[in-house]
Amino acid sequence: MTRTIEYRDALNEAMSEEMRRDERVFLLGEEVAEYDGAYKVSRGMLQEFGPKRVVDTPISESGFSGMAIGAAMLGLRPIVEFMSWSFSLVAADPILNNAPKMLYMSGGQFGCPIVIRGNDGAGGQLGSTHSWCVEGLYANVPGMKMVIPAFPADAKGLLKSAIRDDDPVFFLESERLLAYKDEVPEEEYLIPIGKALVRRPGTDCTLVSFGRPVHFCLEAAEELAREGISCEVIDGRTIRPLDIDTIVQSVKKTNYCVVVDQSWPFASPGAEIAAQVHAACFDDLDNAVGRVHSADVPTPYASELEQEYLPNARRICEAVRATTYNA
Amino acid sequence: MSIELTMPRLSDTMETGTIIKWNVGVGDEVAAGDVVADIETDKATMEMQVFDDGVIAGLLVDPGNQVPVGTLIAVLAEEGESVEDVSLDSNGTSAAPAAPAAPAAAPPVESKSVSAPSAPRAATPGSGEKLKVSPVARRIASERGIDLVLLKGTGPGGRIIKRDVLGYEAAPAAAAPAQSITSPAPLTSGEEPLSGMRQTIARRLVESKTTIPHYQVSMSFDMESLVDIRAQVNERLAPQGRKVSVNDFIVKACALAISEHRYFNASFGGDRVHFHAGINIGVAIALPEERGGGLVVATIRDADRLPVGDIAVAARALAEKARTRGLSPEDMSDSTFTISNLGMFGVDHFTAIINPPNSAILACGAAIEQPVVRDGAIVPGVRMTATLSLDHRVIDGAMAARYLQTLKQLVEKPAMLLV
Repeated sequence: MTRTIEYRDALNEAMSEEMRRDERVFLLGEEVAEYDGAYKVSRGMLQEFGPKRVVDTPISESGFSGMAIGAAMLGLRPIVEFMSWSFSLVAADPILNNAPKMLYMSGGQFGCPIVIRGNDGAGGQLGSTHSWCVEGLYANVPGMKMVIPAFPADAKGLLKSAIRDDDPVFFLESERLLAYKDEVPEEEYLIPIGKALVRRPGTDCTLVSFGRPVHFCLEAAEELAREGISCEVIDGRTIRPLDIDTIVQSVKKTNYCVVVDQSWPFASPGAEIAAQVHAACFDDLDNAVGRVHSADVPTPYASELEQEYLPNARRICEAVRATTYNA
Repeated sequence: MSIELTMPRLSDTMETGTIIKWNVGVGDEVAAGDVVADIETDKATMEMQVFDDGVIAGLLVDPGNQVPVGTLIAVLAEEGESVEDVSLDSNGTSAAPAAPAAPAAAPPVESKSVSAPSAPRAATPGSGEKLKVSPVARRIASERGIDLVLLKGTGPGGRIIKRDVLGYEAAPAAAAPAQSITSPAPLTSGEEPLSGMRQTIARRLVESKTTIPHYQVSMSFDMESLVDIRAQVNERLAPQGRKVSVNDFIVKACALAISEHRYFNASFGGDRVHFHAGINIGVAIALPEERGGGLVVATIRDADRLPVGDIAVAARALAEKARTRGLSPEDMSDSTFTISNLGMFGVDHFTAIINPPNSAILACGAAIEQPVVRDGAIVPGVRMTATLSLDHRVIDGAMAARYLQTLKQLVEKPAMLLV
């Protein structure tokens, strides 16, 4: 059985279920308790779990994320909420320099089972400093996992897996998706980290994306279908580890691939996927892998510019036409 | 309006050209006739002239880069235009994929003075034409035994893409030859990559043999008189260090015969036949092993009007040049009828493949001493067998027979050849 709920409620259910299941799990972050979360993701959780497990922190990302990492090393299962991943930049040392390396540096004695979650990407006229897509920067670091769900059901199933995972998991949500409603199973379920999903089957071109741009891809696929180009849309769901097998399987069938990534183009997950597809599918490609990214500029504030900056459906359609020699 | 300079077609077979160097820079003024670049074709390095006055606003292809004929390579600002405006434009334009020049059926040689010759596509030497093929197109072609040389690429820069291979398979008429042109058996004991010339020969002759409905007509010629006259001529020329070959007489004879049979100086043009103004005889020249082997076709222009002695001089010079320095595109363009002669190797007779867009080629064997029947008696004689290969779309069997009759009269009563 399913019911239709918002993405933010799916996140809430995942955290609440895991906190009921495992008393080591707790949530901390700015305004997560008294205010029910800046984006109302933790609505009602303070009442249910009390201030010891739903903790309001000062505006000090470096401090509270460092504290959470220490807690994780000593056996707890913290969930850190960043109001925006843009604010994580001041916590780069704990989250990039400590958490992902702990298992390695301690010779396997203790890891860091922490989940760090928050809004990633352009929220809509938030300006360039508050519109970060951190996947390009952070996915470069070995030792962590990076999850970026596009749909409520995935958000819930993947967050539950992330909380149970023994490695640090960076969980990238989107402010633009928090109110997105979709069917989510009633019963408990988990979605494994590292498994992509074919969102829409197709025969002529593989579209690979993750997070919010998956929706742009589905929109583009709809338009391209009217032109007779059948796109297979793959929702990567996880960036690290990357499910390259699902992508390769699709590209071997379609012979064309366009990667859609809301990061900037240079040294991005999209670039990495293109490189891996080129290597794995060399003899199956009829053209170089196409890529659609956010424009290589700081995120514009003006709404028209911001829309044009994003890897929107129109730009995806153009890339697919060019890549499949239908331009 | 700015003036766009595109990669010119500097030889008949040229499909791509490489900018060797630019002789001008952005901002330089140029006048019509100025040489702006050196361009390497599949045959030679040639100068590229501009045909307009202007200022160089943009050079869009860097030296060393190879682009298809027709690709935008530079932009000129006209009088009154600013270089800045034009170069912005040209950047926009150059981003568009260059349309590969469609090698259509070669147009006729209207006259020998045509500046962009576009008649015969002889097998030619040169830097080699790199076939651009997408990986999956290459894989599918290899799996299905399709020779990529036969395909026309529709991707950017003429790249052969998947749909070109699949489309070739779908075309039933074209599919047949593919079966016979498969990869070699696994018994090979070595291999060598094809030279540029060999690739051109392969491509051109497969195209000729698979698209032109060839048939052959042979005739035997009594060579006694011609051999005799040649001996007389050569005896007189010997002190000057000159001589005339049997083939030089045959070139002259073929040219004179053509003047009476205009379909032998014509090209098939789809819905019409093109007749050519000059009678230009192509002569196949085998190249020595040390120069990579292969063959080229040199053109002796207006052979019907040249004395045999001049034909001999021209033929000798072209053969020498072909075997040492290599022929220029000019030396190889515009032939309208071709002769291939293996007589010097003692070959009795053979058949040749038409050199498009010619409609006929004559394959000559050796003039051989043999018993012949004359006036009811067997006596010693000299005979040569020549075989015409013909394009049946242009020339029918009876026409070929009548041409050979004319040729026979000229060869067997060779006085006309000396007029």
